[in-house]
Amino acid sequence: MPSVEIILSGLAGDRATGSLRLGKAGAIYLTDGRVTYAESATTPRLEDLLAACRGISAHAVRQARQAATEDLRGGEPPVAVPQILGGDRLLAQGLLTRGELEFCVLSTVLDASYFLLESTGHRPRFRRGERHWLGPQWYFDAAGLLRECKRRKAQLEQTWPSAELDTLPVIPRRRIAAQRVVLSSLQWEVLVGADSTATPADLARRLGRPAYSVLLAVRQLASRGLLRVPEPDAAAAPTAQDPLPRRTRGASEIPAAGTGSLATPAPLPGATGDPTDVNLLIRLRNALEALT
Amino acid sequence: MLGIEDCLTEVMAIPGALDAILIDQTSGTVVATGGASRHGDVERSAAGLSETLRATLDGLAVTAPGGTVRIDDMIITTDGGHHLLRPLETLFDGPLVIYVRLDLERSNLALARHRLQALSGRLIST
Repeated sequence: MPSVEIILSGLAGDRATGSLRLGKAGAIYLTDGRVTYAESATTPRLEDLLAACRGISAHAVRQARQAATEDLRGGEPPVAVPQILGGDRLLAQGLLTRGELEFCVLSTVLDASYFLLESTGHRPRFRRGERHWLGPQWYFDAAGLLRECKRRKAQLEQTWPSAELDTLPVIPRRRIAAQRVVLSSLQWEVLVGADSTATPADLARRLGRPAYSVLLAVRQLASRGLLRVPEPDAAAAPTAQDPLPRRTRGASEIPAAGTGSLATPAPLPGATGDPTDVNLLIRLRNALEALT
Repeated sequence: MLGIEDCLTEVMAIPGALDAILIDQTSGTVVATGGASRHGDVERSAAGLSETLRATLDGLAVTAPGGTVRIDDMIITTDGGHHLLRPLETLFDGPLVIYVRLDLERSNLALARHRLQALSGRLIST
């Protein structure tokens, strides 16, 4: 199955207008081959950002949305009455300025695209002609957007090359080895918001910050040894409950070998969250990359 | 009511402005550019500039008496011109940064700073 990236590039080349639906993961909206909106199930929605930071009630947004959706549905292309798009409705209500709306769309799209391009396990379907109720507020060149997502991925990996904390609750350490730390404002928000149950995605929604930024902050905190990294045993527990080789019914040989090794888990070297280890690994990787 | 494009147009209207970039600080990506005389790689300069700002914040945070820093703007003067960086407090994401390069001879730094400040106030109502 072609990846989201390839489909998106193809649609951009065709100057398509419509929505690329990625199952439950979300959707990307295109206008004339340029990306105008994207929404992902894992990132805060536009409404969440507006509510958390601007105090705009979900009700007001819903009203604007309903009115705009009715317009879009009722108004087939050749219609005399000019359609008012949802974004303009929000502006008309005086809830926020055009600049703010554009910023909001900008960060929502950048944020959602990152997670949508990473998402798998869905059947992408393109619905030609379908538009988002907000209307185009900002146009992204598809190639530029893909480049940006790659850059973001590289940035995450450079910060802390392990994804193990990405979906776990954020738990700050009670005591740290360092005597003084310098935090960015977002790192501060993450630490204050962390209640030992919220994952980075939960925190993003609660704080009204883009999920990518929160994820980056979490990895930065982890790389400095400020977060509790799960014990190796705890991480192995879920795999023990649900062992990988469930295909036993069909073929018998390969899973047998698999179960054998799983039954007696090889003692792993104690994985520490020590930032010096990680820094060493990063330096080692950089050195190896420099060699080639 | 000011949009991002209008904002860049106004930045370019500052006396002596040569070019301008609006940068998303999260990853150092280019949001929009202004000015006709674009040369070099905008994407790379945006990434470098946002890194400059980040590094400065890190450096200042350690030396600042209170231990906390808030940069209003940053001025770098080279033999080619003045470079102004201004983080915009957006309500949603980490800051956006306005970068503007000013002609050394034809610009007035104080005026430029003042204009940028007024502009960011109009772009985002707080």
